[in-house]
Amino acid sequence: MISCSPFLNELCCSRQRSMSALRKLVFSVALLFCVSSVLAQMSESPLESIRSALRAKDFDKAVELSRAALRDSPNDTQLWTLEGIALASKGDSKGALAAFTQALKFSPDNMAALEGAAQIEYQAGNRAAVPLLERLLRLNPENQVAHAMLAVLEYRQGNCAGAASHFEKAGELINSERDALHAYATCLVRGKKIEQAQQVFVRAVALNPEDPHERRVLASLQLMLHRPKDALDTLEPVIETRDPSADTLSLASTAYEDAGDTPKAVSALRQAILLDPRNVSLYLDFANIAFAHESFQVGIDVISEGLTLQPQAPQLYLARGVLYVQLAQYDKAEEDFETAQQLDPNESLGTAAQGLAALQANDLDHALAKVQSKLARKPNDPLLLYLQADVLAQKGAEPGTPEFQMAMRSARKAVLLQPSMAAARGVLAKLYMETGQYQQAADQCRKALESDPKDQTALYRLIQALRKTGNTAELPDLLKRLASLREQETKAERERYRYKLVEEDPVAKQPAEP
Amino acid sequence: MIFTRRAFVQLSLGSAFATNAMRLLAQGVATHIAKPVPRPAPSGRPFHAHFVDVASAAGLGAPVVYGGVESKKYILEATGCGCAFLDYDNDGWMDIFLLSGTRLDGHPADATNRLYRNNRDGTFTDVTEKSGLQAVGWACGVCIGDYDNDGFDDIFCTYFGQNRLYHNNGDGTFTDVTKAAGLWNEQPRWGAGCAFLDYNRDGHLDLFVSNYVRFSIEHAPVPGANTNCNWKGIPVECGPRGLPTGRHSLFRNNGDGTFTEVSEQAGISKATQTYGMTVVAADFDEDGWPDIYVACDSTPSLLFMNNHDGTFREEGVLRGVALSDDGMEQAGMGVGIGDYNLDGHLDLFKTHFADDANGLYRNDGKGYFDDETRPSRVGVETRYVCWGAGINDLDNDGCPDVFMVTGNVYPEVEKKLPQYANKTPRAIFRNLGKGVFEELIEAAGPGVAAAHCSRGCAFGDFDNDGDVDVLIVNLNEPPSLLRNDVAGKANWLKVKLEGVKSNRSAIGARVLVHYSAGVQAQAVVSQASFYSCNDPRLHFGLGNSPTVEVEVFWPSGLHEKFRQVSANQLITLKEGVGRIPNRGWSKS
Repeated sequence: MISCSPFLNELCCSRQRSMSALRKLVFSVALLFCVSSVLAQMSESPLESIRSALRAKDFDKAVELSRAALRDSPNDTQLWTLEGIALASKGDSKGALAAFTQALKFSPDNMAALEGAAQIEYQAGNRAAVPLLERLLRLNPENQVAHAMLAVLEYRQGNCAGAASHFEKAGELINSERDALHAYATCLVRGKKIEQAQQVFVRAVALNPEDPHERRVLASLQLMLHRPKDALDTLEPVIETRDPSADTLSLASTAYEDAGDTPKAVSALRQAILLDPRNVSLYLDFANIAFAHESFQVGIDVISEGLTLQPQAPQLYLARGVLYVQLAQYDKAEEDFETAQQLDPNESLGTAAQGLAALQANDLDHALAKVQSKLARKPNDPLLLYLQADVLAQKGAEPGTPEFQMAMRSARKAVLLQPSMAAARGVLAKLYMETGQYQQAADQCRKALESDPKDQTALYRLIQALRKTGNTAELPDLLKRLASLREQETKAERERYRYKLVEEDPVAKQPAEP
Repeated sequence: MIFTRRAFVQLSLGSAFATNAMRLLAQGVATHIAKPVPRPAPSGRPFHAHFVDVASAAGLGAPVVYGGVESKKYILEATGCGCAFLDYDNDGWMDIFLLSGTRLDGHPADATNRLYRNNRDGTFTDVTEKSGLQAVGWACGVCIGDYDNDGFDDIFCTYFGQNRLYHNNGDGTFTDVTKAAGLWNEQPRWGAGCAFLDYNRDGHLDLFVSNYVRFSIEHAPVPGANTNCNWKGIPVECGPRGLPTGRHSLFRNNGDGTFTEVSEQAGISKATQTYGMTVVAADFDEDGWPDIYVACDSTPSLLFMNNHDGTFREEGVLRGVALSDDGMEQAGMGVGIGDYNLDGHLDLFKTHFADDANGLYRNDGKGYFDDETRPSRVGVETRYVCWGAGINDLDNDGCPDVFMVTGNVYPEVEKKLPQYANKTPRAIFRNLGKGVFEELIEAAGPGVAAAHCSRGCAFGDFDNDGDVDVLIVNLNEPPSLLRNDVAGKANWLKVKLEGVKSNRSAIGARVLVHYSAGVQAQAVVSQASFYSCNDPRLHFGLGNSPTVEVEVFWPSGLHEKFRQVSANQLITLKEGVGRIPNRGWSKS
């Protein structure tokens, strides 16, 4: 659910904040592990005096004794390790790292030295910790501390796939750490493993059950999983407080709407708007509900209310323009798109909407002119390139003509610039179909389906392209898939259309259920 | 509806587009939005067909009553009905059968189906009462065929309520034999399209009936009641979206005047999620067995392919005639069948709602179709709600044209949105050759340019002058009878078939005529256009070809060829016998 993304964005952006806390967490756990393991080894060593000094936390003495012993036995791994521990305990990370490095020179698989060195490198935020931790994990794959450290380092490097894998293996070690759980969930979301992310966030909520932010993030994930009832269960404790925030109410509204309870969705959103009347996104959410229920005039009225408080919000003009288009009021739509464009000249969507409105009014030349004038200033805007290709295709550009070639170039460039733009791939596939390049069309359809598995146009064109190439083996499954998508859409539409928003009070212009 | 909430949010929030932007701004009861292809400059080529509405002079003055005039409360009042050219008295002259509806607040005195006998002088006589065909109700579709092979064409009508089979007694009268034939529905249904066909090739005509929606006036929502009852923000009658879909039926002819429903066994019942309208049965994959195409409103259209064992498999999506070229459902209403590109295969033209293009589908001869709507330029027209249609050579130049009628379903909308008028003109797509068409309205005569709220139309030569005239149902107005006055010296040929081993009406036969421009295929069908039935005599424009070769693929499997057939005549071919004398034809 797109409207949940602000919470998830916040989750993603909190990476830096999470890092320092994570570092502290893992360090403290690791230090204890390191010391205890070495002391256990030393219990059978002749160097009992050094051990005693460490146990007595007399680190200066431990250093002194270690150095004296090393003069006699400079190749003794254990002595170097003990010195490293003593120095680290004193806060001399540099000396400690040098000592551990010496130890590893003589015995590369010395666990205590590896742990000590990795810990210092990790604490300093150095990538040099990574090979040490990897070696540790080769020796002991179950080492949860090493996994936790590696997870954090990979996360810092932006390698979410690697981080998620190590977070998973760190197991319950991170259960008590909110930031670690957030980082883990963030990586899972980025890897589109929403189900797992949701499970991780259940652990985060368990840590702070009273925290509304935690609950909102979890609810957002549940909405992404199309489990609006779970989201409502998650939000229930915060909705039922005396003063739920506008954010909470907005999210609850989305959940109610997704659960098919439009009256409650509208009620929650109205409450949210009353609490935060200058919040543009709340009006957009309302317009969204009005749009879904084809209650366009109600949507227009509510957005107009929003514009009295936020007259400089281009998104509101854009949304209202779209609603005017639905009512075939193209002049008003055009006016709103123009205003949106003036308020935010760098945003291509205003132009796009103008182009679309012109398309809707069957004025293809006007649509193309709008798009091309903006494209002259922003030649690498994928949305405008896509629109140019689409309008040209709709104008009936015939294969072999300059217009067709321009459409093809635009679509290809749009896809290159924004590979996830399924719509651009759709146009490209259509153009390939028209030139008999069925294999290329099929490839584009497949990629469009990767971006949007519910893209019926891509699926249908894939069926036709494969039929043309004689590659019919997949067709039965694809036909079933298309039928299933259609069925799902019909069902969803039926749910949406159960309600229509009406204005119960023409003066107040407040929406209400029928 | 094809826009998505997500797309709306994405636009509003300024996020990236991830769905087709066109869908975003789509709206309305029409399920697919298409932009009109830009109109090229006029070809400047003269069009030799000229249509004049002679209905009034011909005596067709009674209006076709159908629901409210200024507004429609229910969809029942809006979809309208069809008509037929038939020769019920076997005199060789096309008679006319017009269906009718009624009104919600009671039956007006003039609300009845009507049979008009051709007086052979350009006029008709209303023989409804005498023939026994007077009937009041919400009639929808008609198909004509000799189901008992007695030599006289019978009539089947679909209704909201109870369908009716009228047996032609051969003496100018008909008898309602619905119950006796086993076609009585225990529960009233909304019968829509229908077609006689011999699906099992036993020589007896079976019957396919499409059902539109499950509907009852008592429980139907009223305009504005919910989201499916608004169009561009204006409260209008509800549906078909939001209403439960109908189930289609196949009835096997038992050969004794009765029918048995075989929908389940034949695999027809599997297609449950469609709003079926016009039905066209023909052999699309040229395997000798009739297939069934059903234009469906707001849902994928259906193509039932004959398995040769009494069963069908539905393959509309796979074969490219179920959805638009971008995979979206459309508001399929009427169907024209013919061979526009002269490759010897039966193509289809399907009419749709306003703001969408009508579809032209080219058959590859194996029953797979390519959507040629845009390249053929029939996509230039998206202004009107389109209904009855045909692929016919209107000017006899040898290249079949497309004719269609139009009319809105929301009479109340034009007051607020004048661009969506209730009464709109007819349109012709004249065939320029090479698969390209040019839209003509005014240039085709006043009968084409006149605005009406039309539904069904039937193509036939009512005055036997060697061209194709058009009969049109106009809601709450008298019908139009467009007399075609073809200028020039182009040649033509009409072919009438009479089955022997095949069903007597030869329904399902495919005829190929070879002439200088190519090979043109046509089929004998019992329903096409919108809920209507055309003249059973197949009409071929031949351009300047003086002689042709005719091939007939009879439903029985017999394949016959007739060489050196002269142009400008009607020929009657009897299965396995050859040419026999024509019935009628002379104006005297």
